Amino acid sequence: MLHLLKIDLKKMTSYRTFWVICGLYFLTLGFTTASGMEILRWFANKTVEFGASINIDRIPLYHFPDIWQNLIWISGLFKLVLAVMVVISITNEYQYRTLRQNIIDGMSRWEFVLSKILTNVLLSVMSVGMLLLIAIVTGLIYTPELILADVFIGTEFLLAYFLEVFAFLSYALMLGVFVQRSGLTIVLLMLSHMIEAIIKLNLFRESLEPSIGWLKQFFPLESITNLVPLPFARYAFQEIQDYVSLTAVAIALVWTFLFNYFSYLKLKRADI
Amino acid sequence: MSDVVLSINKLTKNFGKLCAVNQLDLEVRRGQIFGMLGPNGSGKTTTLGMLMGVTNPTSGSFTWFGEAATHHTRKKIGAVLEHPIFYPYLSGQKNLELNAMVKGADPANIAKVLDIVELSARKDDKYKTYSLGMKQRLAIASALVSDPIILILDEPTNGLDPMGIAEIREIVKRIAADGKTIILASHLLDEVQKVCSHFAVLRKGKLMHSGPVDEVGKGEETVEVMAYHDDLAVLLQEFIGSGSIKKENGVYQVTMKDGFHSQDLNKFLFEKGIVTSHLATKKKTLEKQFLEILAEAH
Repeated sequence: MLHLLKIDLKKMTSYRTFWVICGLYFLTLGFTTASGMEILRWFANKTVEFGASINIDRIPLYHFPDIWQNLIWISGLFKLVLAVMVVISITNEYQYRTLRQNIIDGMSRWEFVLSKILTNVLLSVMSVGMLLLIAIVTGLIYTPELILADVFIGTEFLLAYFLEVFAFLSYALMLGVFVQRSGLTIVLLMLSHMIEAIIKLNLFRESLEPSIGWLKQFFPLESITNLVPLPFARYAFQEIQDYVSLTAVAIALVWTFLFNYFSYLKLKRADI
Repeated sequence: MSDVVLSINKLTKNFGKLCAVNQLDLEVRRGQIFGMLGPNGSGKTTTLGMLMGVTNPTSGSFTWFGEAATHHTRKKIGAVLEHPIFYPYLSGQKNLELNAMVKGADPANIAKVLDIVELSARKDDKYKTYSLGMKQRLAIASALVSDPIILILDEPTNGLDPMGIAEIREIVKRIAADGKTIILASHLLDEVQKVCSHFAVLRKGKLMHSGPVDEVGKGEETVEVMAYHDDLAVLLQEFIGSGSIKKENGVYQVTMKDGFHSQDLNKFLFEKGIVTSHLATKKKTLEKQFLEILAEAH
């Protein structure tokens, strides 16, 4: 397994696009999640001009345990960048026909898919690691009274975040395997949420909403977003889901398995 | 271990209605340099694609080294199908390192194979900067990197200039001298005749002929005659061993009947008082045989 990961990384580590995209991803991820207070301050200044006032120190954006869900929800927005990298990695193999040569050289088709999946796991783990680091540092800085027990409340969101990134990268990989052209795949990837939203809109008209509205959670992309619910409404005195739903995890796991399985199935049957 | 390296049994591939390879049976033995001949689109690459696991056969089977093929058997084979395929943004060296990793080969071989194909000086340049000839040579190097028992080359001189062709041919001969089994697919008959020990002819996915290259020259003989004599044509017709007579570029081409040879013709002319200025026995070329085989198929 490690050998397969090494093979895929060897393809990537001398590829400048890989470093540029991954560099941009981790930089923007890092800076955005770390500078939430600055953004809030800027926002507060703006609203003062309109006569309203927000006391930003009363918003516990970076306080344990709120910080986990807050930062993880924000980081989730950036996974698209990583997914574009995954698309480039797989579609290159088709474009350069190196997939064919890998098989000729003695990789099995499953080994090839597995090498890509393992890289996705690594990228997901690195995202979690990055976030863990930023959350701990900023949490320690901003939390006024540190209570150790609070630090660990909500850390299950880290696991949900791993699944969120890995599921989405698996989806990107599958899209790449099926479409095989980088440009088209990236466009489809970016439009995926919108396409799914339009389908849901047409499927669940208002009259049907109460009876079969619960089916929405089974849609692939919604299942990924449901892992980490939007937390910020709680600062406007609204009830939010501040835990990871096991149903959501189960649905996302099934989809993740299916994405990767479909990639394998497609590759197994294709003449390459 | 058995002598048979590759055994193909009724291998068939359909692309929709088109039958690219049709019930192909073939055997390649250790040490052979096996030429696969056929016009473009005769199913050579499709056959090799199936043997190398990139094309799924419709039916039929094949064995490598007497065992059913898996990705493990492929690691013992060095193959370049159609064009050289490499990561354009990696250097030749890095590309070979990757090949070695996939094949589970010793990375120490890389320097050796780069030497064989004379690319050591350019190994750290990116693949995309290579000329076509260098790309072909790197492809051969990658096929050799695992020190394979058998080498498969598909049109290795495609698109090369005469010097490039000669270089590749030299490399192939050197590798063959090492005792490796080579399967060489080509539509260049001259190339196969110069390099191969055995050959097979494919046409529209069907095997038309299979046998040693040596046997190609056997059969009726053609003698080229040139002499400064006005009635040479008449005299040649008088010779009882003459089959058909053609004149090409001032040279008479006499196809001999069975049992007659050039020395008989020479003796006959000499007795008639004619001294030839040119007399040569022409071996039948593979090209001629190839065209005959294809013509028979109609």
